[in-house]
Amino acid sequence: MIRFAWLCIPLFAGLFFAGLIWGEQSVDWSELVNVVSGDASAEIEMIVLELRLPRVVLAMLAGMALATAGAMTQSIMRNPLAEPGILGINAGAALAVTLVTVVFPGSLVLLSWAGFTGAAIMAAAVCLLAWRNGTSSLRIILIGIGLSSLAGAGTSFLTAFGNVNDVQRAMIWLSGSLYGADWSKVRTLALWLAVPMGLSVIASRQLDLIRLGDEAARSLGQRVNFTRGFLILLCTLISGATVAAVGLVGFIGLIAPHLARKLVGPHHNRLLPVSALIGGPLLMAADVVGRTLIAPAQLPAGVVTALIGAPFLAWLLWGRHNSAV
Amino acid sequence: MIRSKSVVVARTSVSLTSRKRFFYLFLLFCVVIAISAWAVTLGTKHISLVTIWDAIFWFDGSREHLLVMSIRLPRVLAGLLVGSALAVSGAIMQSVTGNPLASPGLLGVNAGAALAVVAGMSLFGTSLGSTSVWLAFGGAAIASAIVLLLGLIGRQGATPLKLVLVGAVVSTFLMSLTTAVLIFDETTLDAVRLWTIGSLSGRTMEQVRLVAPYIVLGLIASLPLRQHLMSLSLGTEVSQSLGQNPVFWRGISMGIVVFLAGGAVSLAGPVGFLGLVVPHIVRMIIGVDYRWIIPFSALGGALLLVFADMAGRVLFASQNFPAGVTMAIIGAPFFLWLARYRLRAGA
Repeated sequence: MIRFAWLCIPLFAGLFFAGLIWGEQSVDWSELVNVVSGDASAEIEMIVLELRLPRVVLAMLAGMALATAGAMTQSIMRNPLAEPGILGINAGAALAVTLVTVVFPGSLVLLSWAGFTGAAIMAAAVCLLAWRNGTSSLRIILIGIGLSSLAGAGTSFLTAFGNVNDVQRAMIWLSGSLYGADWSKVRTLALWLAVPMGLSVIASRQLDLIRLGDEAARSLGQRVNFTRGFLILLCTLISGATVAAVGLVGFIGLIAPHLARKLVGPHHNRLLPVSALIGGPLLMAADVVGRTLIAPAQLPAGVVTALIGAPFLAWLLWGRHNSAV
Repeated sequence: MIRSKSVVVARTSVSLTSRKRFFYLFLLFCVVIAISAWAVTLGTKHISLVTIWDAIFWFDGSREHLLVMSIRLPRVLAGLLVGSALAVSGAIMQSVTGNPLASPGLLGVNAGAALAVVAGMSLFGTSLGSTSVWLAFGGAAIASAIVLLLGLIGRQGATPLKLVLVGAVVSTFLMSLTTAVLIFDETTLDAVRLWTIGSLSGRTMEQVRLVAPYIVLGLIASLPLRQHLMSLSLGTEVSQSLGQNPVFWRGISMGIVVFLAGGAVSLAGPVGFLGLVVPHIVRMIIGVDYRWIIPFSALGGALLLVFADMAGRVLFASQNFPAGVTMAIIGAPFFLWLARYRLRAGA
């Protein structure tokens, strides 16, 4: 794992600089040096420090958060297809955002809050409905499916009959977009993430246990229901905050944990950090590609993550004669 | 690796005797027939059952007969076909992958069909009609072929875990492409957004006739498959020790799903709810026995879709209210109730 972390440093650095340099207006290396020493023109300084830097940092944070939440969800639900969306987070956020965009068009400020509120309410509803003398993974999954499809029906209805311009705007927001990034967003996300991410690292032993199944975990001394509830709360906080900051970026939470598991095995004290180290660069790369590929227009990062990540997974399946996957 | 087999074979508190199950199946069949007949009579103009009977068997070209044969009947037939096809393919997917989250969409059929239709409209200006049925079918077939081929790579062949992962990844990939097209093409978004929810309005007899053979073939083929699904759902080890060749039967099952779900998507658009939820509902009511889950799913899915489409037409007084929405409104609360009260804790 240490070796992997070392390998990641040049990757992070490369993407970091790529994110600063490329874009609608390219910034030279020399100009970048000038920005650091304070000699650059005001315009360049503004582009680099106020537009691109927060965007790169936001992408990194969000990617790491999504991957961590994904790894946790897969273990809590004991399901390789689980991602935080299973808790109804995505469906709730989508419904709230579509509702706000279609019913109150022109209120962009509200979107992040709507996203977070929708996600939190849905996650709470899923947990409450699933709680009956304790929890069970399957019941949470099924209730999640049911509530998500209800919320999905609402979203579909709005999508079908709302003003097509508003629908399109909601779609862009929902596909995960980083173009509104600024320092206040970065700060908010970092603050929201700090505690739950820290706790999730501490909880890696509990995650190791709960993955084994309720009976086994209980006989090893775990308070299964309490732990599951607590871990779900962490997941909700992490992914809810991420949804509020960058919209819905689906792919990372699903795929980063699988790649990490292939690299370092199933133990969470390694799995969680490595997932984060995969998720961060993935979203950074997706954002850079998304805004340079068809510049000046921008593709939402959530669209690009899958376009980059899917061939990567195919290559992985092709390359190693997969033992784990 | 995370194991999820035991999760699908969830213990439910119900187990009915075979005779009772057969009786219920027959009852359900009668209900489906009755609801379908009722659905044909309802609409902006009420048409009596006798007229419908005459229109089918002694068609005389009158206005009412035309209405029945060209609008009402195709719509209900499409609902029956799509509903049963999606529910059965969902049951097959869940048993083969051993994953309660599996749905026919996981094979890439929905995403492939949507991309093909959207790309056709955006690049070549095709309209939603018979061409789009072909486009959707082709897209679904190609996407599922890619998923299956990628899933086969590697030594062990298509293991359930690899299959669901590849399916999820390929679907997301194709959906992202679709979103990318729609974000920049407002005209196509406007035209296609009703289709993407799943709607039965405006289906013609020609379209139904085009797709029906595939779905009927798939449904018939799924009946002798039932025993094999039962042992497949217990996992690779059990299935091998029972003398079954899991890789072979998995392949066959997936092939059937492609026919069923591909046909369904091309007829009604990517309806998500049916394939995922109906098999769970059936499992929670009649118990975990795939010999019964398959026929019950077929009838249950058909009933839900036809009923939802009818409810949408009557309650919202709109002929093109998407059945995908009404179905979730009707089906999801029932499903939630079942999941909360009929599923034993500790599964």
